[in-house]
Amino acid sequence: MTAPHNDLRVIAPVAAIALNTFRETVRDRIIYALIFFAAIVTVLGIVLGSLSVGQDIRILKDIGLAAISFIGGIIAVFAGTNLVYKELERRTIYIIFSKPVSGWQFVLGKYIGLCLCVFVMVVAMGAFLAIIVAALSGSFAGASFFDQIKEISQELSLIYLELLFVTALATFFSTFSTPVLSVLFTLAIWLAGHLGESLLELGKLTQNPFVAQVLSVIFYCLPDFAGLTRIRGHLLYGTAPGAEVLTYLVTYVLAYVLMLLVLAAIVTERKEFA
Amino acid sequence: MADAVIQTTNLSKELTSSLLRRKVRILSGLNLSVVKGETFGLIGPNGAGKTTSIKLMLGLMHPTEGKAEILGMPAGDKRALAEVGYLPENPYFYSHLTGREFLDFVGQLFGLERRERKDRASELIETVNLTEAADTQMRKYSKGMLQRLGIAQSLINQPKVIFWDEPMSGLDPIGRRDVRQILFGLKEKGTTIFFNSHLLPDVNEVCDRVGVMNKGRLIVQEEVKNISAGGNYKDLEDYFLEFISKSESESVSAAASAAPHDERAKPVKSEEEAKP
Repeated sequence: MTAPHNDLRVIAPVAAIALNTFRETVRDRIIYALIFFAAIVTVLGIVLGSLSVGQDIRILKDIGLAAISFIGGIIAVFAGTNLVYKELERRTIYIIFSKPVSGWQFVLGKYIGLCLCVFVMVVAMGAFLAIIVAALSGSFAGASFFDQIKEISQELSLIYLELLFVTALATFFSTFSTPVLSVLFTLAIWLAGHLGESLLELGKLTQNPFVAQVLSVIFYCLPDFAGLTRIRGHLLYGTAPGAEVLTYLVTYVLAYVLMLLVLAAIVTERKEFA
Repeated sequence: MADAVIQTTNLSKELTSSLLRRKVRILSGLNLSVVKGETFGLIGPNGAGKTTSIKLMLGLMHPTEGKAEILGMPAGDKRALAEVGYLPENPYFYSHLTGREFLDFVGQLFGLERRERKDRASELIETVNLTEAADTQMRKYSKGMLQRLGIAQSLINQPKVIFWDEPMSGLDPIGRRDVRQILFGLKEKGTTIFFNSHLLPDVNEVCDRVGVMNKGRLIVQEEVKNISAGGNYKDLEDYFLEFISKSESESVSAAASAAPHDERAKPVKSEEEAKP
């Protein structure tokens, strides 16, 4: 065997696991999700086009983007929480960890593969939504068409940022929990993360300093999905967030994702494969 | 031993049963040394601890006591694993991949370059006689074909040491003959080989030395050429049955004479019984 270059030895397993995860997830579920999405948006487009006057495009975009976020999240949660379990169940994990592959390489490869899959899916659904929007507004060119595309792209970027978060959560739980519990944990945190400052408000309403303190700690530990949703709301009404806000958001998400992946790698490194 | 490629010292493993949180010992004090170029066969009934021993040597499981070393490095060390080929028992692979894609995937795990992966995959596909099925998805493979592919993947990195767990399982007589040929080829190249098997004629033909294991203990080890040469045993099967029945009767009498809190009375369960 020719001694591989050190960088290759570090990166190649991550790339191999990522590509394998991508292929597997795509071949498993994604087509069905896309067909489901296409059906929803087409039906809604036709129905809303005939019912509402003037607001049909706005409503279609709102519903379409919410569907992309929901379907993307469902795929991230269900595929993510099965990541390690499936490898254990099929005993393919023995093949991976009997090779010079570290826990972090496995976790990172799995995460990148799934994020890639979610990315392709979000882009495909976004393109479909853009086509329906353009068809209903009767224009496939010109300034208004490009404005629509720009607005949808900005929205999709924020949705994808949130899905990166959800995928990392699912990956983290999959390293030590069963798929059912991992789904419950991930969904619970995803939903709780959307509560945002309501938790602080709730603490104030209880008028109990201890409960308020606990809720405040939970608020600061949970991922701030509410912040992302708020910015998406602004975008829908034509107010683009400033560069400072975007930098903060991206840094916040990446730091959180990194923390979850490091924890997942530590758990995997210590795991036994009996 | 100075030139030991595989070395275990008092290697032991306890598992905790999930129901009663009782600790069950599935491997007890395994002391073993396999030298460079040697072919060692570990034989024993189902649940004797053979698969656990290999998993501990590869770092897939962590020992409760003792240690294992491969090429002078601790079990699980990535530098050692880069020189190891492993075939798990009843291998399952990614059914969405073709045989060739899977070999490429394994080559990438070792960090091999694209050209080398491609060449090695083609060479190994031919070696294990999977040329016609190489570009078919593995979901369409028979058990024997999966076993052949498992053998191929364990050789992609041209390993110095191989661990094969039941390599003949699921193979027809032609497949078994092919695997024996592969083993002889590896021996000629000086590869150190450690394998578990139930098929004693194959072990007899291929191995330099065998170890007999029962209930988590290595009860005896001997060079194959000495087994029938001494005149005490007709063949390997005779040797195996003799030591297993001796071990069974010893454990029955030990359990009967041991006091309730005596360490010897501690249950030694099979791998299957002890799985949490």
